[in-house]
Amino acid sequence: MVAVSKTEMTAAKEKKTGNLSMISAVKTYLPIVGLIIVFLVFNVLTNFRMVKNMPLVLSQVYVTMIATTGVFFIMTMGGLDFSQGSILGIASIVVCMVSRINIPLSIICGILTGALIGAFNGYFYVYRKIKSFIVTICTMFLFRGFIKYLTTNAPVAGSAALINFDKTELKVALTLLVLVTGFVLFRFTKFGTYLKAIGAGEKAAMFSGIRTDKMKFWVYVLSGAITGFAAFINVIKVGSVTSSGGSQLETQILIALVLGGMPISGGAKVRFENIIVGSLLYIVLNSGLTMMGFSTQMMQLIQGIVFLVFVAVFADRKSLQVIK
Amino acid sequence: MIQEGTMSEVRLEVKNLCKSFGITKAVKNVSFNINKGEVHALIGENGSGKSTLTNMLTGIYSIDSGIFVLDGEEIHPKNQVDANNHGVSIIVQELGTLSGLTVAENIFLGHEERFVKCGIKNTKQMIKEANELLHSYGFDRIKAQRMIDDYNFEDRKLVEIVKATYFDPKIVVIDETTTALSQEGRNELYKVMDKIREKGNTIIFISHDLQEILDRSDTITILRDGVYIDTVKSKDVSEEDLKRLMVGREVTGDYYRSDYGSKVSDEVVLSAKDVSVPGLLNKLDFELHKGEILGFGGLSESGMHEVGKAIFGASYDRTGSVKLSDGTEINDIPTAIQHSIAYTSKDRDNESVVLNQSIMDNICLPSLDELADKRHMLSDKKLRDFADKFAKDMSVKMVNVDQFVSDLSGGNKQKVVLARWIGKDSDIVVLDSPTRGIDIKVKQDIYQLMDRMRKSGKSIIMISEELMELIGMCDRIIIMKDGMINGQIERSETLDENNLITMMV
Repeated sequence: MVAVSKTEMTAAKEKKTGNLSMISAVKTYLPIVGLIIVFLVFNVLTNFRMVKNMPLVLSQVYVTMIATTGVFFIMTMGGLDFSQGSILGIASIVVCMVSRINIPLSIICGILTGALIGAFNGYFYVYRKIKSFIVTICTMFLFRGFIKYLTTNAPVAGSAALINFDKTELKVALTLLVLVTGFVLFRFTKFGTYLKAIGAGEKAAMFSGIRTDKMKFWVYVLSGAITGFAAFINVIKVGSVTSSGGSQLETQILIALVLGGMPISGGAKVRFENIIVGSLLYIVLNSGLTMMGFSTQMMQLIQGIVFLVFVAVFADRKSLQVIK
Repeated sequence: MIQEGTMSEVRLEVKNLCKSFGITKAVKNVSFNINKGEVHALIGENGSGKSTLTNMLTGIYSIDSGIFVLDGEEIHPKNQVDANNHGVSIIVQELGTLSGLTVAENIFLGHEERFVKCGIKNTKQMIKEANELLHSYGFDRIKAQRMIDDYNFEDRKLVEIVKATYFDPKIVVIDETTTALSQEGRNELYKVMDKIREKGNTIIFISHDLQEILDRSDTITILRDGVYIDTVKSKDVSEEDLKRLMVGREVTGDYYRSDYGSKVSDEVVLSAKDVSVPGLLNKLDFELHKGEILGFGGLSESGMHEVGKAIFGASYDRTGSVKLSDGTEINDIPTAIQHSIAYTSKDRDNESVVLNQSIMDNICLPSLDELADKRHMLSDKKLRDFADKFAKDMSVKMVNVDQFVSDLSGGNKQKVVLARWIGKDSDIVVLDSPTRGIDIKVKQDIYQLMDRMRKSGKSIIMISEELMELIGMCDRIIIMKDGMINGQIERSETLDENNLITMMV
């Protein structure tokens, strides 16, 4: 975004190398250590109510974790996506509507809806060359508008049979399915290496033979599809969609990834673990604060501070100018 | 050390300077003096600490230990502007101008307060003064009010020269600038250097071109692996002496390839027909043979650098056809790579390597399809072994393959680029300025590598602004002018630079 001269860049790099090993150690272990500490502290403070209510705490994590996987791919290649909440909302409405006809079909329709919105994002980002955060902020409002319109008279309710699917085992299994597939794709195929290369240097990636435009477009489609899939889990939990359905998901995802130690500009330093540790840390923090009896306002304030600290620690200042 | 009894006055004393990057000691306890009114060259192989030293002097890097004494006064520049205020400026190796600003804003960057009255910047005055400066340097074709982005690499370098010298600094560091310039650009720079020297100011001159060093400098200081070796008078030494001092032993063996009159195969591996790129190339026709080194020379703006991109499928709006012997048309980069074409760009940091990524990923990137197993899975060990093998083949100086490419010196980055394409086993290799900013030892390695590749039947296109290496390496040299082919010369022992220059201008 901002042009930084060569010399300033080398200067920044040089300042960092001084206490490099310490900083990199902090960066590696802070998320996991943070997760353990936060978990222990809240348990002590709440007389171990958190452990006792583990299924309830975890029930909030599935949707976030699945959707985060898609956004993780986007952020690895240096993009952003603020439209995730609206994607989840629209896809949830579609799932609810179609579930009255056929439940398996509703899952597929949810995925397709997400993929379509992802394609919409990708088209404007890649082929109309608009920065991804601008495009997705626009689509966030656009599709939020649709959601409000569709839920004007009453929340959209799904088939009553959906409630039968609301089982922890199923949700855990589906979440694991997405995570494991994502992990294998990211870690053991060229998909992950290509994404990281695009994030670290798009032009050089292009000159290495990667079809960068195509890749960027399809990653947005993929991410939309994944969130479309998460819509099913969202729906079986709540049964119906209101005008605020899915809202704030994008912030949750962003916070989760940053808490997990993901550099916000993507690139070579991202790790798949960022998703898991980050989502858990976010949920534990959130539930912990709720259980402690903090007001929503107070919670947002605390979240803001924690978020800022993590961004400050993990931002890869060398490559911040390449956020797309 | 400079002998006692020299008449000249000392301008800068470098005392016990040290600098480390992590575990790498880039500059080790270096001390020497630089006099007033001289062009003082710093030479050494890549990673010998030349740039690190000057970067500390100009406030780009911080100093670990040791001091700089300028005109008897200890200085600790905190940044480039601070260094400027002490009378020290630098023209850096890569591009040092900021895009998105006008030429005038670039020239006066960090010194805008001169034009500010009551908190308001007098842009008109700034542009006027910048234009006057450009005029006094004879760079009238550059207009101060235009955006810097409107100008090419070469003109931007000229703007940098103005920026670094207009305020009569006591010391100007010229770090490897000439390799980025064409012959005319170099002449402009030499003129500026002469002026600075006449005024009694000092130039610290870094270049890998030893002939240029001998021609242009008064005194030469040699560094090797971050250690001070010697300071000599230019008139007392020969190129061979310098090579020996830099490398620490005699440089033996052939520098360029030594064969003449060997027959090149008739087999055409690649043919370009009617290749045009708007504004850059105009209806280019040529053929590349098996085992041939085909050179492209010309002035920097002759379009020769675009030839490489056009063949590699990386040009925008290219028309005409680039065909392989089997009839495959090359229109995009992935197709080019799949059909065994490799390309190394002149713009190494942006187009050749992914800087903020490991050596391993950089080397493996184009070969991932071959490295994957039947189920498209990649194994870490396989990638690591692959990268390690080719990095070691090219003797890349590194801790291990996990090291980021951004930490490597220019020559080592280029080795990583070459390692990647050798790993890919490409049959047609397009090298744009392969030895730009690279020291003689690595240059020799690259020339020998090219010779081996040629002998094993690979075809090479070498695009270069250094005429000597074209003459030394190529079977055939095509000279470009204004986007067109202006002439072609076969390899011969009697060829010299003047034969080529007449066709270039």
